[in-house]
Amino acid sequence: MSVDATLTAAPPWRRRFSDSAAYPYALIAPALAVLVVVSLVPFLYAVYLSLHNVEYGQVGDWNLLDNYAKLLGNDRFWNSLRVAGLFMLVAVPLEFGLGLAGALLLNQQIWGRSLWLPLLFIPSMMAPIVVGLLWKIMLAGSWGLLSYNVIERFGWLPGTSVFASSDHALIVLGLVDVWQWTPFMMLAFFAGRQALPASPYRAAAVDGADAFQTFFRLTLPLLTPLLVVIGMLRFIDAFKVFDSIFILTAGGPGVATESPSMLAYKMTFEQWRIGESAALAVLVWLAFFVLCNVFFQIAKKRLKAF
Amino acid sequence: MSIALAPRPSPGWTLLTAALAAVLLFPVAWLAAMAFKPDDTMFVRPTVWLFAPTLDHFRSVVDAGFLRYLGTSVALALASTALVVLVGTPAAYAFARFELRGRDDLFLFILATRMAPPICLVIPFYLLFTRFELLDTFAGLTLAYLTFNLSFYIWVLRSFCRDLPVELEEVAMVDGHTRFAVFLRVVLPLLKSGIVSTAMLCFIFAWNEFLFAFMLGGQNVKTLPVAIPLLITSQGVRWGEMAVVGMAALMPVLVAVFFLQKQIVRGLTMGAVKG
Repeated sequence: MSVDATLTAAPPWRRRFSDSAAYPYALIAPALAVLVVVSLVPFLYAVYLSLHNVEYGQVGDWNLLDNYAKLLGNDRFWNSLRVAGLFMLVAVPLEFGLGLAGALLLNQQIWGRSLWLPLLFIPSMMAPIVVGLLWKIMLAGSWGLLSYNVIERFGWLPGTSVFASSDHALIVLGLVDVWQWTPFMMLAFFAGRQALPASPYRAAAVDGADAFQTFFRLTLPLLTPLLVVIGMLRFIDAFKVFDSIFILTAGGPGVATESPSMLAYKMTFEQWRIGESAALAVLVWLAFFVLCNVFFQIAKKRLKAF
Repeated sequence: MSIALAPRPSPGWTLLTAALAAVLLFPVAWLAAMAFKPDDTMFVRPTVWLFAPTLDHFRSVVDAGFLRYLGTSVALALASTALVVLVGTPAAYAFARFELRGRDDLFLFILATRMAPPICLVIPFYLLFTRFELLDTFAGLTLAYLTFNLSFYIWVLRSFCRDLPVELEEVAMVDGHTRFAVFLRVVLPLLKSGIVSTAMLCFIFAWNEFLFAFMLGGQNVKTLPVAIPLLITSQGVRWGEMAVVGMAALMPVLVAVFFLQKQIVRGLTMGAVKG
């Protein structure tokens, strides 16, 4: 190796540069430049838009915080937050509980586990728009497989259909999210479970702990940091929900399933209230900065990740 | 490991897992069946389970020019992924190896870029793209896809870089290689599997993306996910055609899950869980 090194030694200018303090910055410079263009610039532009009157795509006068005032006085804004909250409350705890149970199942002695695992990844890797399509077909009006064979047969929703009633539409959207993300939670928790050290479990077995005690006294405490981090990630993700709502209900009936993303979409591209929707985008963005910071700190400290 | 620690597989648990997978994936199988189901059996009550498969939906999808959308989807996902790998790999390595000023702040910026709801970006992008005539162009969408994929790629590949033992690089440097040569000849070969799997995830994300393509694309640049809602027409919903396009959009995912497995957990948790 040393012989080879003398033969291929770099010209002095390159050696000097890559030993210099500027070298690491040179490595990240292109990426940073791109991120400034595709992320920082749009963010700052959104802030700029949110502070101006915007008429049909033409930026008008500076109007202080008018857009924010209008937004905060808009019932649909508060409704969208409520929708997002309910959606997360339906979806995330279920995904969490079922995911944990599923992870324990996967942790049993299962034949052909390497065959099952990839299959379980399919829903979470699918395009959300295809997930929406899938359930649009399953739950279609009178002939959908589920609507006809299950919901109608058992008389669960007499005289209405799942997406026609504002009480049910949001819950069903939440359940679609559960379908998509529970398998992923299972696999993530399972990965975490597999990474736990074996020795405490041997000790527990020697001490005669039963499965129940082992789970609550050992597995759960050891997994807690992971559960917190993944749960948080799901909450953040669920807040963004758009594609499946777009294809399944388009925010309806009325505004019953109008998530913040859906509202921003309608304000921008249907009502052309761009100033106000930019204000909404900025507020959501700021909330995400805070949430990401919390996620980052927790994951870093408790999972020793990053 | 000792043999005593590996008890034999239990048929009960195996059966339960199989049942779970079957129930879970049943809607996907039904989507595939819908692609072949003749229109006259589709809306019949009670449900027609057995039918003579037809290729009608495929034909009408091809006639409607969907192969072009497929081409656009492939080209867009490939182009944006290639750019991401090119620009992102050195950055991920630098983030993992060097003490940079304000590193944590930069991380947070990158993470937030990845996590922010797409709609927040689409609004400013739409107006900026209108002004710079990037709406409905391939270049415009490629650029927009960098937003979520470059940040994702840097973030996840960095965790792969940190798994590499730094000693190998030190040995090569003691042998007289420059840092850059070490990066090219020692680090890159070791990172290959990390790069490939992270890039595959980027490809899938770009492939699956809907909102950007929907709002920033148009007649010229239309991807498969955008083509799906277009089949909800004023004359009615083209269910069979939607199923065909949906299955086409699903294909790369079906391939990827078998290659990626552990990397999916790592990727979707932003590297917080090693998988």
